[in-house]
Amino acid sequence: MTALKSGARTRAEAARVIDAVVSDGRSLDWALARSDEKVAPADRPVVHMLCYGVLRFHWLLRWQLAQLLDKPLKPRDSIVETLLAIGFFQLSDTRIPDHAAVSTTVEAARLLRRPRYAGLINAVLRNYVRKNISELEPADEEARLNHPAWLIQRFRTDWPDHWRQIIEANNDRAPMWLRINTRQKSALDYQTQNEIDGDLLAGVNGALKLRRPMRVEEIPAFDKGQVSVQDAAAQLAAPWLLARGGERVLDACAAPGGKTGHLLELLGPNAHLTAIDSDSTRLEGVRQNLDRLGQTATVLAADASKPGEWWDGKSFDRILLDAPCSASGVIRRHPDIKLLRRESDIQTLACRQGEMLAALWPLLEPAGRLLYVTCSVLAEENDAVIRKFLAAHGDAREDRVLHDYNIRDLMHDKNSGFQVLPGTQGLDGFYFACLEKVS
Amino acid sequence: MAKLKILEFPDPRLRKKAVPVENVDAALRQLVDDMFETMYDAPGIGLAATQVDVHRRLLVADVSSEKNEPWVLINPVILEKDGTEVSEEGCLSVPGYYEAVERAEHIRVRYLDRDGIEVESEFEGLLAVCVQHEMDHLEGKLFVDYLSEAKRQRIRKRLEKDRRSREEERATVF
Repeated sequence: MTALKSGARTRAEAARVIDAVVSDGRSLDWALARSDEKVAPADRPVVHMLCYGVLRFHWLLRWQLAQLLDKPLKPRDSIVETLLAIGFFQLSDTRIPDHAAVSTTVEAARLLRRPRYAGLINAVLRNYVRKNISELEPADEEARLNHPAWLIQRFRTDWPDHWRQIIEANNDRAPMWLRINTRQKSALDYQTQNEIDGDLLAGVNGALKLRRPMRVEEIPAFDKGQVSVQDAAAQLAAPWLLARGGERVLDACAAPGGKTGHLLELLGPNAHLTAIDSDSTRLEGVRQNLDRLGQTATVLAADASKPGEWWDGKSFDRILLDAPCSASGVIRRHPDIKLLRRESDIQTLACRQGEMLAALWPLLEPAGRLLYVTCSVLAEENDAVIRKFLAAHGDAREDRVLHDYNIRDLMHDKNSGFQVLPGTQGLDGFYFACLEKVS
Repeated sequence: MAKLKILEFPDPRLRKKAVPVENVDAALRQLVDDMFETMYDAPGIGLAATQVDVHRRLLVADVSSEKNEPWVLINPVILEKDGTEVSEEGCLSVPGYYEAVERAEHIRVRYLDRDGIEVESEFEGLLAVCVQHEMDHLEGKLFVDYLSEAKRQRIRKRLEKDRRSREEERATVF
């Protein structure tokens, strides 16, 4: 008889999720959401840990695999290679004892209906330990840096002095940041009263970095809407608009609604906010988030690049455009981006970003402010988009005055706009450019 | 010590009924050692002699996580059983399949131990399930026999297909 241990289940499930990303091009968020539905709550953290870790070190783990297999397995058994990568990751980067890492991974092969590979997996994992494969330094740059070659090249070109920092940050685990609604309570009071082990960040009111991540249900006053989970770099956006109650504010591309909620907290009771997003499914998440925060806004399923379809003709005093982008600044939170994004996507995204900017500009009141935001670190999606826009719009100028001098140290100046690089003070990588309409 | 080959469903030899062990001698103890080695290596938590093509009433088991609580049951007979328990079972002769099977929760068994001494033991939990599962083997019975005909046929077809493709693709480890 063989006993089924939860250890084997979690390895098999992680292999299915990773294979959906690697072989089928699914996003990690999508695959994990599906997996969470069938995995017991107690097992989810292990599945998530394995999926993030293995995707983060994808190129290194596959390189190590090539050192131990003389030829790749057949494409229909790609999940076995994924299982081996999961085994390597457990052996090299976790505190799981070697014997447990090996036995659970071997058993997982049976669960994945690949029992004939149990012997092979056992032998390869034992060789991995015996030959100290984890100590080998690959000559191959992709394997050493765990990024695709085209992205390494982009980082090098765009950030000649900082590309290594970017890559290191991308391969790191991201800390958990909270945003406290400072209208109700200061972040320091919240931290002290709830005895939270964390760090505040000067210049970003309400941001609290947790020293140890916690489950959302465990966050004090989360259900009361007093606090949200949001990276501190994303928390820079809403205050930058300098919006006040009574002004008409547009949040374009609002889903999942983190910045929408933040804007409403800052605007107070007299808020007039319209939040749009073209994805009606994700818009449902915005509504739920606002419900939790006890906030209201006009929420519309609408395409920011086609205002003719939804705009009522009344101008906005403030516009936040959190544009769809490559997400190359938040790879540490979405390691699947490294596998899913293609170099040709960048130009397509840059075109779309320029179109949105141009389409929304006429909606802005004279003397109004538009904040362009991406979570990318690539020049083509950031300052290149803004420079091109400024060149084509005589009534636009950039406001380079930071709304809080304390954030100066976080910012890298670009010709247009400012860049926060991933890893700086534990932040995600974000780009900001504030445009004003000359009256 | 030697590792033995485990028969796989639907091998007809798994259907043979085992005969009682007559002498607990050195040769039998050698078989017990080999069966433990085979079981630990697989890895499994129980193995009946039938599964390694020896049709005598003998089984080994170890359900501990440290693999340090070996049990040897020779000529086992269930004296009492009570309660019912459903658990997911897998079998080294039906690799890759786990299905819910109902068994007695608690059993009392009389058997000869590795020195040939007659003893009685009470088993519960996973060990009780395991002993019942292995005793079924000695009768030529498999856990898939508790499943629906359709399910059993599906498993049989899959395993036969696996076996056919096994020879053609064997990645080399060096």
